[in-house]
Amino acid sequence: MRYIQIVISLLIFVLLSCNDGNRCYESVDTLMVGSFSINGFKPINSLIINGVNRNGVGDTLVNDTLSTLTKRYTFPLSLTSDSTGFVLKANGIKDTLYVRHTLIMSFISENCGFAPNYIISGFRYTKGIDSVKVTDKKVNPKSIEKLTNDQNILIYFNSAVH
Amino acid sequence: MTKIFSSILILLFISSLQGFSQKKAEAWRYEGPRFGIDLSRFLMPYMQKGKRSAWEIQADVPYKGNWFPTFEFGMQSFDDQRDGFHYKNNGTYARLGVDMNIVKFESLKDHDFVFIGARYGYSLFNQQTDGISYTNYWGALNSSIPSRTMNAHWAELVFGMKGELFSNFFLGWTLRAKFPLAVTSDPNIKPYIIPGIGKTSNGVPFDFTVGIYYRFPIFRTKTLPKVIKMGGNTHPGEVDPNDPNNPRNSGNSQYGSGSMRNGGQ
Repeated sequence: MRYIQIVISLLIFVLLSCNDGNRCYESVDTLMVGSFSINGFKPINSLIINGVNRNGVGDTLVNDTLSTLTKRYTFPLSLTSDSTGFVLKANGIKDTLYVRHTLIMSFISENCGFAPNYIISGFRYTKGIDSVKVTDKKVNPKSIEKLTNDQNILIYFNSAVH
Repeated sequence: MTKIFSSILILLFISSLQGFSQKKAEAWRYEGPRFGIDLSRFLMPYMQKGKRSAWEIQADVPYKGNWFPTFEFGMQSFDDQRDGFHYKNNGTYARLGVDMNIVKFESLKDHDFVFIGARYGYSLFNQQTDGISYTNYWGALNSSIPSRTMNAHWAELVFGMKGELFSNFFLGWTLRAKFPLAVTSDPNIKPYIIPGIGKTSNGVPFDFTVGIYYRFPIFRTKTLPKVIKMGGNTHPGEVDPNDPNNPRNSGNSQYGSGSMRNGGQ
């Protein structure tokens, strides 16, 4: 009988301490982080980025009129297709960049749910882009937490065109 | 089914009679296998999120008075409807281990004990996720992850107590620290609830169980189990009063009855 008090008090303690929070404290936004470079010390004074076939109001991803070479930009990738196309208009010259990727939906937590994880597998681009360097092929919700000088891809514009 | 149920009732009745006769023959200490159910599993649906149902049965057998090899078996189902997904998980689990009494029994009739112990656990379960939805700039994705059979192994350290409420009926609680050893991996979703372990988001999940037990008093003895000695050196003044090799327990010992006064002569 002497243990009953202990049993009951512990039970009450457990009932009170089982407070299950339901807030999501983790990021579920999966965005590819990219930055730009150009040979020959040329400036890029304006940059507008849209998704391919996305020309409606509010479809512009980036509209920057200041120097873009020191900045990083985030790109959402397609959820239903294995490649995503972007129209890059730098200094008034249009280029198109296609990013090939694989997608897997990964569980973040019970409060945050699922988020897409991508692996970048390749690129296709028009002649105004010289090359694209992949520094991290994994794109996940942690990508936007990258350090200032880090990114997923580095896009080199062709100085002869721009 | 009715036969099984009536057999259990008859067994309980006979055992209760034995419990009464036990009062008359106070020189005997009755022991036997103990079976019980975990009451806390029935409280889980009210304490945690998601639709849950669970049950667990437990059994132990005394061995040399202070050791209790233990077997536990249970089932749990979990259905969690969230904003962006619908997760289902159900399965069975079993634990095998031993408890060790760490307190001294006061008398032959005293069966209350405090224990520490260890378990090995195994769980076999299914999980599936429907209604996964995610939206970004490019549109919405709706997908699902089909049902998959998975398993998990873990170890537990336990601490608890069991007290005899009345003849052969016990109430007890157990605090459990669980150490997952291996869980089937899945690229889409790591199971966040595992039957037998509970939530996996904590590194070392803790659990608290409260059980009610019935002991079948089929063994009897006249000896009180000795206290299990823990590690460490014996204090110079610490002697075992039952040790026949101890000179202080000898009637014609030069040390007399062991009082300080005699020792100082």
